[in-house]
Amino acid sequence: MNRRRTALAGVLALTAGAALAGCSSDGAPDLKVVGAYLPQPVSDMAAGFLVVQNSGDAGDRLTSVTSPLSDDVTIHETKNQKMREVSSFEVPANGELDLERGGNHIMFMKLKQKPRQGEKVSVELHFEKADPIKVDLPVKETTHNPKKQ
Amino acid sequence: MRNRKAVTAVAFAAAAALALSACGTGDDKAGSSAVADVSAAPKDKAATVLDQPFTKPNLVLTDTDGKEYDLREATQGKPTLIYFGYTNCPDVCPLTMSNISLAKRELPKADQEKLQVVFVTTDPERDTPASLGKWLSAQDPTFTGLTGDFPTIQAGARQIGIGIDAPKKEKDGTVVSMHGAQVIAFSPKTDEGYVLYGEDTSAEEYAKDLPELIKGETP
Repeated sequence: MNRRRTALAGVLALTAGAALAGCSSDGAPDLKVVGAYLPQPVSDMAAGFLVVQNSGDAGDRLTSVTSPLSDDVTIHETKNQKMREVSSFEVPANGELDLERGGNHIMFMKLKQKPRQGEKVSVELHFEKADPIKVDLPVKETTHNPKKQ
Repeated sequence: MRNRKAVTAVAFAAAAALALSACGTGDDKAGSSAVADVSAAPKDKAATVLDQPFTKPNLVLTDTDGKEYDLREATQGKPTLIYFGYTNCPDVCPLTMSNISLAKRELPKADQEKLQVVFVTTDPERDTPASLGKWLSAQDPTFTGLTGDFPTIQAGARQIGIGIDAPKKEKDGTVVSMHGAQVIAFSPKTDEGYVLYGEDTSAEEYAKDLPELIKGETP
């Protein structure tokens, strides 16, 4: 009986330890960008989509995006058929930030040129903690809308 | 005594599980999207057929040539798709219009001529007939674009169950506009709006349903 209790306590301590380690924000974000694309625009504005994966133990935030395509690049959320500029997007620890069609996106206004399908648009993503990441967004057809993985 | 200990252990286990799930943001997200996928799976049709169809709204607006356009008169007896959106919309509005355009191009020529696709702006202040025409023709020159005063547009949308708010100017000068949640198909037989399509409807799904919609049949 006594021994069992000790064993149980040990298991609990281990579990608690693991839980704490999972929550720790002492680590650093470890970011990777996948699935980036930009549908060929139909006007002088465009939207970009990508997924930021964070395999690190600390969360981060996407705070801004810059690109040679436009001097006016903002990040937007879409809720109830309205899109709104936001100041940042969360990239959760051991999670991901999805910018996908119909939802959150990068918005490029007053395009300096109109990108065509097959071309690439380079962007630099800026984060609260992690170093900036440069990504090339391949220009896809206007209707490109990949299914969720 | 023994029971109480067991209860405590269970409580601890539950707490630990909670703590774990609270931390695993990534896993949670994957889990919730999997659930969404499952619930979407049985609905293998993009179309929502209405039990009580909508009467076609009595909308008289201005087309992209600046001419008066009477929706009922112009589309009477013709299969018609209506969508409410705005051109300063980088994502959903061009996606919806371009998907319909792709699907339309797969129809036999005679059917293409029957199908009326009407885009009504929800942001008439910024979408002039000229700018709307330019935007729309970049996607499909056969589509009709309509503008007018906002209350008229809003009232027309409301009659077919589409709620839209007036564009709102934010403190920083940006304008927040709103697009309609659905595309509505009107039957050539009854002139009633009888099928709805959500904004995630693909070009393939429209292509599959358009031949039925052209005939006024239920997809």
